[in-house]
Amino acid sequence: MAINKDKNGQTNSINQVRYGCALGALHSVTAIPGAMPIAHCGPGCVDKQYTSLAFYNGFQGGGYAGGSVTPSDNLGENEVIFGGEKKLSELISATLKIMEADLFVVLNGCIGEIVGDDVSSVVSKFQEKNVPIVYAETGGFKGNNFIGHEIITEAIIEQYVDKYAVDKDKKIKGLINVWSELPFQNTFWRGDLLELKRVIEGAGFQVNILFGNGSKGIEEWKTIPNAQFNLVVSPWMGLSTAKYLEKKYNQPYLHIPVLPIGAGQTAEFLHQIVAFAGLDITHVDEFIKQEEKEYYYYLEHFTDFYAEYWWGLPATYAVVGDSIYNLAINKFLVNQLGLIPGKQIITDKAPEKYREAIAKEYAHLAEDVATTVEFVEDGYIVGEILRKTDFGHKPPIIFGTTWERDTAKALNGNIVEIGFPASYEVVLNKTYIGYRGALTLLENIFTAAISKSA
Amino acid sequence: MPKKINLDIAEVESREHRLGTIIAWDGKASDLHRESGYESRACGKKKDGCRLCEVKGPFTQGSVCSEQMVECQAGNVRDAVLIQHSPIGCGAGQVPYNSIYRNGLAMRHHKVENIRIINTNLIESDMVFGAAGKLKQSIDDAWERYQPKAIFIATSCATGIIGEDMESIAREKEAELKIPIIPIACEGFRSKHWSTGFDATQHGILRQLVKRNPKKQEDLVNVINLWGSDVFTPMLANLNLRVNYVVDLASVDDLEQLSEAAATVGFCYTLSSYMAAALEQHFGVPEVKAPMPYGFAGTDAWLREIAKVTHREDLVEQFIEAEHKRVAPRIAQLKQKLKGIKGYVATGSAYAHGLIQVLRELDVEVNGSLVFHHDPVYDSGDPREDSLGHLIENYGDVGSFNVSNRQQYQFYGLLKEVNPDFILIRHNGLAPLASRMGIPAAPLGDEHIAIGYDGIVNLGESILDVLAHKKFHDDIKAHTKLPYKKWWLEQKDPYLLAKHPEVINE
Repeated sequence: MAINKDKNGQTNSINQVRYGCALGALHSVTAIPGAMPIAHCGPGCVDKQYTSLAFYNGFQGGGYAGGSVTPSDNLGENEVIFGGEKKLSELISATLKIMEADLFVVLNGCIGEIVGDDVSSVVSKFQEKNVPIVYAETGGFKGNNFIGHEIITEAIIEQYVDKYAVDKDKKIKGLINVWSELPFQNTFWRGDLLELKRVIEGAGFQVNILFGNGSKGIEEWKTIPNAQFNLVVSPWMGLSTAKYLEKKYNQPYLHIPVLPIGAGQTAEFLHQIVAFAGLDITHVDEFIKQEEKEYYYYLEHFTDFYAEYWWGLPATYAVVGDSIYNLAINKFLVNQLGLIPGKQIITDKAPEKYREAIAKEYAHLAEDVATTVEFVEDGYIVGEILRKTDFGHKPPIIFGTTWERDTAKALNGNIVEIGFPASYEVVLNKTYIGYRGALTLLENIFTAAISKSA
Repeated sequence: MPKKINLDIAEVESREHRLGTIIAWDGKASDLHRESGYESRACGKKKDGCRLCEVKGPFTQGSVCSEQMVECQAGNVRDAVLIQHSPIGCGAGQVPYNSIYRNGLAMRHHKVENIRIINTNLIESDMVFGAAGKLKQSIDDAWERYQPKAIFIATSCATGIIGEDMESIAREKEAELKIPIIPIACEGFRSKHWSTGFDATQHGILRQLVKRNPKKQEDLVNVINLWGSDVFTPMLANLNLRVNYVVDLASVDDLEQLSEAAATVGFCYTLSSYMAAALEQHFGVPEVKAPMPYGFAGTDAWLREIAKVTHREDLVEQFIEAEHKRVAPRIAQLKQKLKGIKGYVATGSAYAHGLIQVLRELDVEVNGSLVFHHDPVYDSGDPREDSLGHLIENYGDVGSFNVSNRQQYQFYGLLKEVNPDFILIRHNGLAPLASRMGIPAAPLGDEHIAIGYDGIVNLGESILDVLAHKKFHDDIKAHTKLPYKKWWLEQKDPYLLAKHPEVINE
């Protein structure tokens, strides 16, 4: 069967991978405080996804249930021939005996899916005994970890939240379920989700952030049906979950494609939420005023550098990364700093049906600034495109990943690693979004830009 | 005589079939050594019927697979390309191995650049209809992009189950592109231990790259290693020998000339067993059969054997004597500083044997060790390579010697029993638990750090560095909760679930 090349020359090949597989979304489970994945897969799958997404990506670490804690049945030849249901069932029993968690999520990998293990029936036997456990079909050939995240999220709601939530029909005004970044894939998700929660709460809402340190774990998940609405802050991931919840719990959703970075964007973001909520919230402007006071205090001092640094600063830029950061950073660079978009490449395999809407966002980055965006997953092609781009009279600054280090060097440009994999960054609670994250982003951009000077 | 390695078959024979490898065992080093019966096994007296007993239970945590080892070897050949014929999840390995590759290139003073691994990115329909077209396309892409001198193709669990015929595709493309295209069978499910992945890569190299009509280079020594810093060149220069490092960071030319060397050595028999034995059996390159170069006894014997094999006996004694004299004062100082310190080794199998020797050379007390697997015999079958035997004979027994395939839940009980001041690790996964128990770890990313006479000093210094980290680990211990139930943490026997699976239902 002949393979078609797309307009950029991309085939099926993936050089320099930029996401994990559906099973890699086991990290969305470890991102929920108190939850633990149980992997039904080959011996290397958990380790691969961990060392890739959570280790050599900001060295985020496995935490309570990730890394080499995660139970896995490490399937062998015997299970390939005779099936792995018995082995999974034994693993679950043993896990319940020795591991401590509030919720277990069984993830089926390639082997189990291909040989046809009935994971549903294995897990349902435990569910019948009221064990807090769910399963998700996350064979690696089903798609990437973005898709896996949505599969897992919906599995937890369908099989756990729906069963254990109380007063599912009760709606609490001002309570919002937030669906945004992909945990661990996005190197800065921990700091970002905290900042997102902080600004939305600052505007007067209650937030179910659901993943990360700011989440109250499964107790919080059980209040998902009570939210007034779902807020999807991302160009596409989370939309399918929001639509599912709209049907299931009659919850409307607000879709804001632009993750806010900086004062202007964050104020606009908060006003959109307030307008959608239809609540009489006056608190928002007070909060914005307070935040802007702090934000512009720093920006004012930064002005001296930005206005009169002698040795040249980058003018053009390229962003290579997931839809969510790509769009957000573009908005910020254009509107806050007045930088010139060179080349924008989205690498997260955004489903075809969303691509047109995403591309439209780039057509109006500002009133007077428009650009285009490419969808590429093969890192080799990313490098080719960047090397062929005309960035004008001086080298660009590249917002990318560790894979772009060679290209940045070849272009004599600077690199800021803003996404998976960031193998030369150590990231704890750093955020690049909202008010506080924008300031950190400025620090990192210009430190990268001038550190090469001498 | 041991069984000769069969290079006529396309797929490597797994370690458990060739060597009787196990991944779970509990006891003393001397018991394991006795039951392994290295010599009788090598003579073919022990057949499959007398396998080592293996305490495998119903609970396991994520391990490691053979394909990862192929990435870390075939993927690290500088002018080749590795194709992963698999769904995208296997491709996640490109990220860690890229970082390791880049750091390795820098450490060995090569040009730093991204690793060249291409994933064929199989999707659901490929599982039904097969994906020969995608594999061919990726081979073409590899050629178009990099003009490599060789292309390796790794299988995956998915392609293994659906039965992709990679060999005939490799043959077809090889004829077309006129470069070696080397299929490597490394499905994760195929072997219980990932070190089969080392053998699979080496099998492919031996079959398709190594020169059949070698021009002998009498001063060239093959060193089978990973990315470690270049400690062998200066050491072997004293014997007027040059080093041919393989497989990681080698060029295809380096791999081709494996058959031209005067001898083959390794730093760890787990890694080098297959390649070294096959080079001797099929290409007449003698394998240096000696204890591994760790500690004085090991290094002395190793150097003497190299000298013997390469006919440089006249140079070696002088070198050994000078080296002993050179490092002695520093080692004496280190011994003072390390007095009363207790260490623990948790690494790959043969490597652990070597590291324990170095620790004991420094008078560090070692009562415990965890190895990820155990090979009761190596491919040559030569008793001079019996690394566990060498350890016990020259440096004494190890009271708590356990085989556990990176199982953190068992490591807890083992550490509690031995209660060391620090641990040595190589593969990731165990140190995070030790940390949460207040025990610092020295990760030996540079696998050559403990080799030779300088290795004794290096390791001593590294231990002093990590002992200072203790403050961090004590603090973490006080502020974290382990993910295991109290019941499990109170158990004395880390192998309880294997020995008494009925407790699970109690």
